[in-house]
Amino acid sequence: MSVNAWIIVGDQPTVGNLVTVARSLGGTVGAVVAGPRSVAEIVASSGVDKVVWCNAPDDVPAEANATALADAVAADPPRVVLAGRNPGERVLLGAAAARLKAAVLTGARSVAVEGDGVVVVNAVFGDIADETVAVSGPVALLLDGGSAPSGDGASVPIEEVSAPPLGVRVVETRTHGFDQVDLNAAHRVIGVGRGLKSKEDLALIEALAVAVGAEIACTRPVAEGLNWMGKDRYIGSSGARIAPQLYLAIGVSGQLQHMVGVTGAETIVAINSDPNAAVFKETDHGLVGDLYQLVPAITAALK
Amino acid sequence: MKIVVAYKWTRDPEEASARPDGTVDWSRAKPGLSTYDPVAIEVARQLAAETGAELIGVTVGDKGVGTPLACKAALGRGLDRVVTVEDGSLADAGRSELAAVLAEVIKHIGDVDLVVTGDSSMDVAAKMVPTVLAGELGWPAVAEVTSVTGKAGELRVGREIPGGAQVLEISGPAVLATSADAAAPRVPGMKDLLAAGKKPVEHLDLAALKVSPQNAVMTVTGRSLPERKVRKGQLIDTADPAQAADELLTALRQAGAL
Ligand SMILES: Cc1cc2nc3c(=O)[nH]c(=O)nc-3n(C[C@H](O)[C@H](O)[C@H](O)COP(=O)(O)OP(=O)(O)OC[C@H]3O[C@@H](n4cnc5c(N)ncnc54)[C@H](O)[C@@H]3O)c2cc1C
Repeated sequence: MSVNAWIIVGDQPTVGNLVTVARSLGGTVGAVVAGPRSVAEIVASSGVDKVVWCNAPDDVPAEANATALADAVAADPPRVVLAGRNPGERVLLGAAAARLKAAVLTGARSVAVEGDGVVVVNAVFGDIADETVAVSGPVALLLDGGSAPSGDGASVPIEEVSAPPLGVRVVETRTHGFDQVDLNAAHRVIGVGRGLKSKEDLALIEALAVAVGAEIACTRPVAEGLNWMGKDRYIGSSGARIAPQLYLAIGVSGQLQHMVGVTGAETIVAINSDPNAAVFKETDHGLVGDLYQLVPAITAALK
Repeated sequence: MKIVVAYKWTRDPEEASARPDGTVDWSRAKPGLSTYDPVAIEVARQLAAETGAELIGVTVGDKGVGTPLACKAALGRGLDRVVTVEDGSLADAGRSELAAVLAEVIKHIGDVDLVVTGDSSMDVAAKMVPTVLAGELGWPAVAEVTSVTGKAGELRVGREIPGGAQVLEISGPAVLATSADAAAPRVPGMKDLLAAGKKPVEHLDLAALKVSPQNAVMTVTGRSLPERKVRKGQLIDTADPAQAADELLTALRQAGAL
C-alpha cells in the first residue's frame, strides 16, 4: 500500500524532513504554498511531484490563504497532510484538517503505511509516553520541518490558484534584532534558565560558551517573558529539540517541558543551587552550587 | 461585540507519571485551569473593557469541566458567563473533534466576533485546536498573538513571527491564539471569586449540538515508554569550585563531549 501526501508550506521553505516522511509513504507528494512565490520556487526543487501556489496580494499573510489552501488540498484529497512546527504552518494545517475532517497528531516519532491504515507512533503528554495510533482516514501531522532544500535540484512546475484571501492584512513588520540561530547544528549547547539573575550576567555565560565552543540557548521563560534572547533559542516541548554532544543546563530547574527538548543529548551537565532540582534526575554530571562561582571556575579551567 | 475565550480545564503532566506499560497514571494530578488560559482571558478581558464587549468563556471536554469549581476558576478571572459541553465521550477526543464541538458552541452562541485562546494546553500542548476551529468556522487564525486592540471588524493584532513581530489588521471574525507572555494574568481576589459564583453558566448537551462526524478514526493499538538514554547521575563535589571544574572537564573529555 502507498498513500498520497500534501505538504503545507507558509513563509518558510524548510521542508526537508517533511519531504522525507511524505516520500516514505510511497505515493505522490504535493506541496501547497500559501506564502510568497519565492518560497514556492524553492519548494519546487525539494523533491516533491507538484507544487500549488496560492497567489494573493503582497500585504496578505500566509494565514489569510488558509481557505484557498484547504480548497487545493481537498481538490485532490490525500491520506496524509504534513506541516512544520511554525505558527503560520499550524494555522494552515488546521484549515486543511478541518476541511478533510482529518485526525491531527503532533508528536509523531514515526509514520508508516500498514494495510489500509496509517500508523503513527505518537509521543503524548510532554513525551512521557508513546502511543501507537492506527488512523483510518485522513491524518494531519505537525512535524519538525527540517532544512530548506539547496535549490539546485530539478524543479517541478508551479500551478497557481487564486482565491479571495481571508480578511487579514500585514500593516507593519519588524525584526527583533536578536541573532538567529540553528541550534540543531551545534555540537555543544549551553541552556540558561531563570537561575541567572540579570541579563547583564549573560556575559558570564558568553565567556563560558566561547571557551567550550557552544551555542547559547535557554528555557522558555528566559526567551518569553524576560526576553533576554530570541524565541528560536528556547529548548523544549514548544521550542527547539536538540541532540548535541553536550548540553550544559545552568540555572535550569529541569521541568518536563524543557527536558524533552534535550533527551537526545549525548551528555547532560547541570549546575543548580537546589540539590532537589528536577534537572538532576536527568543529568550525567551534576554540580550542586551557585552558578556565579561554578561558571567562572569552569571557564578558567578551560583556558 | 462578543468575545469568546476557549479555555481548558485539565491536568498537568508534570504531576502524572508513565507506568512501565506506557499507560499514564494521573492519580496524583489535580485538575485546574490550563496554564496559559489565564493569559488568554486577560488579553480578552482588556479588549472587552475597552470595547464594552461581552466576554464569554467556552470549554468542552470530559466529565468535570462543567463543575462549579471549574466554572468559578474561569469566571473569577473576569469572564461574564460560561458555556460548557461536558461529556464523558470527549475524554479521548482528538484535536479535530474538540475543535468541531467548539465550532458548534460558537455558532450556538451566535454573533461571535472574536475567539481568543491560550498558547497551548498544559496536557496535550498540540497548539492545534484553535487552528482547526478557525478552519471549521472558515475564519482566519493567527497564533503567537501579543496584543489586540480596536473593535469588531477593525482589529489591530500584534503577533510574533520567527525573527520578529508584525502588526495585522483583521476585518472580520477571527481566532487568535495568544503567546504565553501576551499579558500578565491577574490573580483573582476573594471578591472576584464570590462574584464568579453568581455569574451565569450554560451547560449544552453534546448530542443536541449535532456535530458533524470526522472522516478519520484513531485507534490506539499500543503503548510504550519512549526510549531514553540512561544518565550517569554522578554528582561532583563543589566545595572547591576550581577542583569541581577540573573534575567536570576530565569527565567530559572521557565522554568525548569536549
Ligand atoms: C504547555 C507548556 C509548555 C512549556 N514549554 C516549555 C518549553 O518548551 N521549554 C521550556 O523551557 N519550558 C517550557 N515550559 C515551562 C516549564 O514548565 C518551566 O516553567 C520552565 O522550563 C522553567 O524555566 P527555568 O528552569 O528557567 O526557571 P525556574 O523553574 O524558575 O528555575 C530556575 C532554577 O535556577 C536555580 N537557581 C537559582 N539561582 C541559582 C544560582 N545562583 N545558581 C544555580 N542555580 C540557581 C533554581 O534552583 C531553579 O531550579 C512550558 C510550560 C507549559 C505549561
